[in-house]
Amino acid sequence: MNNALTLTSVTKRFGSVVAVEDVSVSVPYGSIYGFLGPNGAGKTTTIRMIMSILYPDAGSITVLGSAPETIKDRLGYLPEEKGLYKKMKAGDMLAYFGKLKGMASGEAGARATKLLEQFGLGEWTDKKCEALSKGMGQKVQILGTLIHDPELVILDEPFAGLDPVNVEIIRDLILELRRRGRTVIFSTHVMEQAEQICDYIFLINKGRKVLDGTLAEVKSRGDQGLVVDYDGDGSVFRRLPGVRRINDAGKTAEIFLEEGTNPQEILKQLVDAVTVRRFDMREPSLHEVFIRAVGGENDA
Amino acid sequence: MRKIFLVAQREYLANVKTKGFIVGILFFPLLLTVMIAAPQLLERTRSARRYAVVDESGWLLAAVEQRITGTDLGYVFESVLEKHDEGAEQFSQLPPILQNLVPVLRQLQPGQAFVFARHLVAAVDGGLAVPGAERLPQAARAVAVERGAAILEWWRGLPPSEAKALSSRVSMNRFVRVNGTGSSASRQAELNRRVRDGDLFAYFVIGADPTTGSEGSKYVSNNLTDEDLREWFGSNASQQVRARRLESEDIDPEVAQWIQEPLRFEALKLSESGEEEQIEERDTLRQWAPVAFVYLLWISVWSVSNMLMMNTVEEKSSRVIEVLLSSVSPVQLLAGKIAGIAATGLTLVSSWLVFFVLGTKFVPRLMGAPPSLDLSSLATDPTYILSFLAYFILGYLLYAAILVGLGSVCNTVSDAQNMLPPVMLFLIIPLVSMIPIGRDPNGMLAQVMSFIPPFTPFVMMNRAAGPPTTMEYVLTTALLVLSIVAALWAGAKIFRIGVLLTGKPPKLKEILRWVRAPVGMVPVRSDRRER
Repeated sequence: MNNALTLTSVTKRFGSVVAVEDVSVSVPYGSIYGFLGPNGAGKTTTIRMIMSILYPDAGSITVLGSAPETIKDRLGYLPEEKGLYKKMKAGDMLAYFGKLKGMASGEAGARATKLLEQFGLGEWTDKKCEALSKGMGQKVQILGTLIHDPELVILDEPFAGLDPVNVEIIRDLILELRRRGRTVIFSTHVMEQAEQICDYIFLINKGRKVLDGTLAEVKSRGDQGLVVDYDGDGSVFRRLPGVRRINDAGKTAEIFLEEGTNPQEILKQLVDAVTVRRFDMREPSLHEVFIRAVGGENDA
Repeated sequence: MRKIFLVAQREYLANVKTKGFIVGILFFPLLLTVMIAAPQLLERTRSARRYAVVDESGWLLAAVEQRITGTDLGYVFESVLEKHDEGAEQFSQLPPILQNLVPVLRQLQPGQAFVFARHLVAAVDGGLAVPGAERLPQAARAVAVERGAAILEWWRGLPPSEAKALSSRVSMNRFVRVNGTGSSASRQAELNRRVRDGDLFAYFVIGADPTTGSEGSKYVSNNLTDEDLREWFGSNASQQVRARRLESEDIDPEVAQWIQEPLRFEALKLSESGEEEQIEERDTLRQWAPVAFVYLLWISVWSVSNMLMMNTVEEKSSRVIEVLLSSVSPVQLLAGKIAGIAATGLTLVSSWLVFFVLGTKFVPRLMGAPPSLDLSSLATDPTYILSFLAYFILGYLLYAAILVGLGSVCNTVSDAQNMLPPVMLFLIIPLVSMIPIGRDPNGMLAQVMSFIPPFTPFVMMNRAAGPPTTMEYVLTTALLVLSIVAALWAGAKIFRIGVLLTGKPPKLKEILRWVRAPVGMVPVRSDRRER
């Protein structure tokens, strides 16, 4: 058994709505696996089934080699909708999460104090959760997910609402988990974040799997594009001939050419209109893969 | 099991440590105290009513004044004896003229102090004979003749504040007559003005010949709700008019009193051995004691199950619930919450019971009830206390299951509050039927309502003095327990779906669909999608 998680043809319906349809995916041990998809695609439903909060109507789920409801204590879960008891002290709150996962009372308390110290929240241990800022609260929640050192961690939108400093702290935390051989599944719709840390990608749209595989595999499936970093008036991109698609972000743009268009011609036209700082040819960004997969499906 | 305990423990500590809980503990005794003490305090702060009298008859006002003086003196005499019995210190502060009366007052029968006082006034001022005066002890009649004038002179010269200090029940505490013995019609115009300006509370006009009839007698006031003055002055005047009529018809007042004497039926009950027994006040109270317990039970069940509901809604709105569900199953979470709040509720209710028992022990004594009226032994009657606790647990479980289901589908406290009125409307019924069932604890209404599970705890508590038959206890309890199991089962199904639901609370129809659906299936309205 070398997969931490296996979903086999999982289907979940809510009344007449099919939330997840015939989804199969395997998550290897020790990997960071990104669950991507637009809002309402079925990410949260899939995750809830893995956590045995919901049960699939068809198909099977194996987590850490067992049925999901039997090994809840070995999993860590940070839901998208997350919160703390406002009137509870941060330290007690963390310890409570630990105890619910089967830790002994004293052990949970000691580890809660240690974790809060380690992440710069030591002085908040005895403060009520309502006094924490949003970012601090989120850090406490993430620590609560990890306090019992779970083998598989599922993080639903862990970066939402965090400032860059905290994003980095949490990213390091996720990377540290992988170093220690833990498996991390995390869902996001910010592609840049996924691109930075994921080993594998699973893309879901309208309840169906669109693609999955290693990050490199997924990207190599799309055709290559030009990446241009520039300063100046970006309206020139719209006048370029022989171009199939453009993702213009203002300072940087991704250009996909039609068959037979010469990149040299494009460069010539660009230097006349804007200051080009970089011009290279490479694999499509995850953003492009996402837009193409989801957008293409939506057009169909 | 450990997880249920952990949830329950957290729930209990989180609730018990709040300020709201401490307030809740004190709320009930405070409410009781206010309900008992407030009317008395208000009565005390009410200023004395000023009134005037226009007496066209020429004699009745004086006769009424005599009677009022007699009554006031009667109160004073009663309080002299009380103070003498209570302790030397207060008694020694009384004027010697009253202290000297103790030997005579001792000889009087209960209630005779008033006859003695009126007789004393009549003996000095002349006027109508006082009924019952012949039966006064010889010594009292002698005192009336020998010392009457001195006592009356002292009393009439006493400033009102000192008179009030002698007894709180003297009339000048409540009513003060201002000068106005004139009889001209022009005075009435003047009095009308003073009533309108609020200077006077009211004035009376006594007709020219009150013994013949009420013609020409009237009471003028702008206050239509406070009838105390009219009733008090009116009854004093009627007494005197009656005495005058008896005198003019040459009827012995004793005879008149005897003619009016009603036929009394002595109230008896049968003891368990079938003997006739006298009914004491205690027995009546015993019959009614369950009503107090029903009231306490109702408040407890309602407020504690409400606590669970609000708690669930808050937990849901703080979004902590999904984190919990990753560690515990919905049923474990629900069980823990119900158990934790039950423990909170029991703490609350036990402390209320302690207050209640202490209250019945000390409050009646403070309010002047005789020590024989042993309320606290009623309040600590094990049948009542045990049924109370048992029905609290059963009632709480039933309503907790219903309210936690409702609470789990709400996202905000105001959503939840919108759900409460229908439940409330239903719950009012046992409260409304409390008195009829207390009157007839084994009647048709009581028996039928005992078998309606949501009412069972309240109605059976209500009937505890009956008491119901063992068969009834067994059957109603079995039915109630079955309903609790069913309600918990349905509540758990609603809970496991409801807690994850966001957006508008579902309609009742949808909730019923959830209850019917098999476990694990989550039917959701078709117009919303799960992410």
